[in-house]
Amino acid sequence: MDAIIPTASMADIAFLLIIFFMVTTVHDVDRTNVALPSSQTREETQKGACYVVVHKENGNVIYKFSDGKEVSRTVSGPNDIFLEASRVAHSNPERQFVVKADKDIRYFLIDELLDNLRRGGVQEVLLLTHGKSAGGES
Amino acid sequence: MKLKRDKDPVVIPTSSMADIAFLLIIFFMVTTVFSATKGLEFKLPKDDDSTPPESEEAVFIKVYPDSSITVDCKPMRPEQILDYLEPKLTRNPEKPVILYTDADAPYSGMIAVYDALALANDTRGFKVKNISVPTQSEVQDYIELFGVNPFEQTCQ
Repeated sequence: MDAIIPTASMADIAFLLIIFFMVTTVHDVDRTNVALPSSQTREETQKGACYVVVHKENGNVIYKFSDGKEVSRTVSGPNDIFLEASRVAHSNPERQFVVKADKDIRYFLIDELLDNLRRGGVQEVLLLTHGKSAGGES
Repeated sequence: MKLKRDKDPVVIPTSSMADIAFLLIIFFMVTTVFSATKGLEFKLPKDDDSTPPESEEAVFIKVYPDSSITVDCKPMRPEQILDYLEPKLTRNPEKPVILYTDADAPYSGMIAVYDALALANDTRGFKVKNISVPTQSEVQDYIELFGVNPFEQTCQ
């Protein structure tokens, strides 16, 4: 009897994996690699939320913005965030803004950002964090 | 005389199925990102002329540049804040809590305190309803109105 590799279930396995990845894949509007702060309490972001990214790259502070539909793009600073926030909040003040910021940046940058969002009429903000269990980071 | 012709059996061509399947698997494996989609909810006040809560009635939490914390001038760790707040908020659930972060403090220092306050509902059964996070421009407005910075407490 010839030695054969059993391949009858290969199609099942392959399609199972395809379905798994199709279901779990999320096409993010922002993929910036940011070292987020950690917290134990966490709420899920709203669908279609706007993203504001603040992080340091080679010593420079980079700001990015996404309206939740298009991929995030670099903007010049908090004033641009204010203009974008005003535009979005004018049409929907309930729209959530997700702040994705580096845990080590100085707080005055966050303060400035929150102030611009508030002036723009934004009410709902979510500070993006990594999960942390009672014993440490998860 | 009828000629007998060999008829090929009807089959669905499946020889390339494995190629397509594995191509799709590799595509999804490469493009999948298990991203962070959770965080701490935060309500910004409406941009009006309302004044911040009176500091003497509120619990005042300050985060310093080295991430250390004082609560009403008493040095504390984030996990000790709820022990301090519990009796006060049990008496007055609407008591304002002011979270003031120094401009040079790291963002993670503010998040640690905010997380500790948000944990009250899950771990202690009470809620810190009235958290105020004044921004620098609000502080400036307050100073212009009243001539003092209520957030620069002098601790004895």
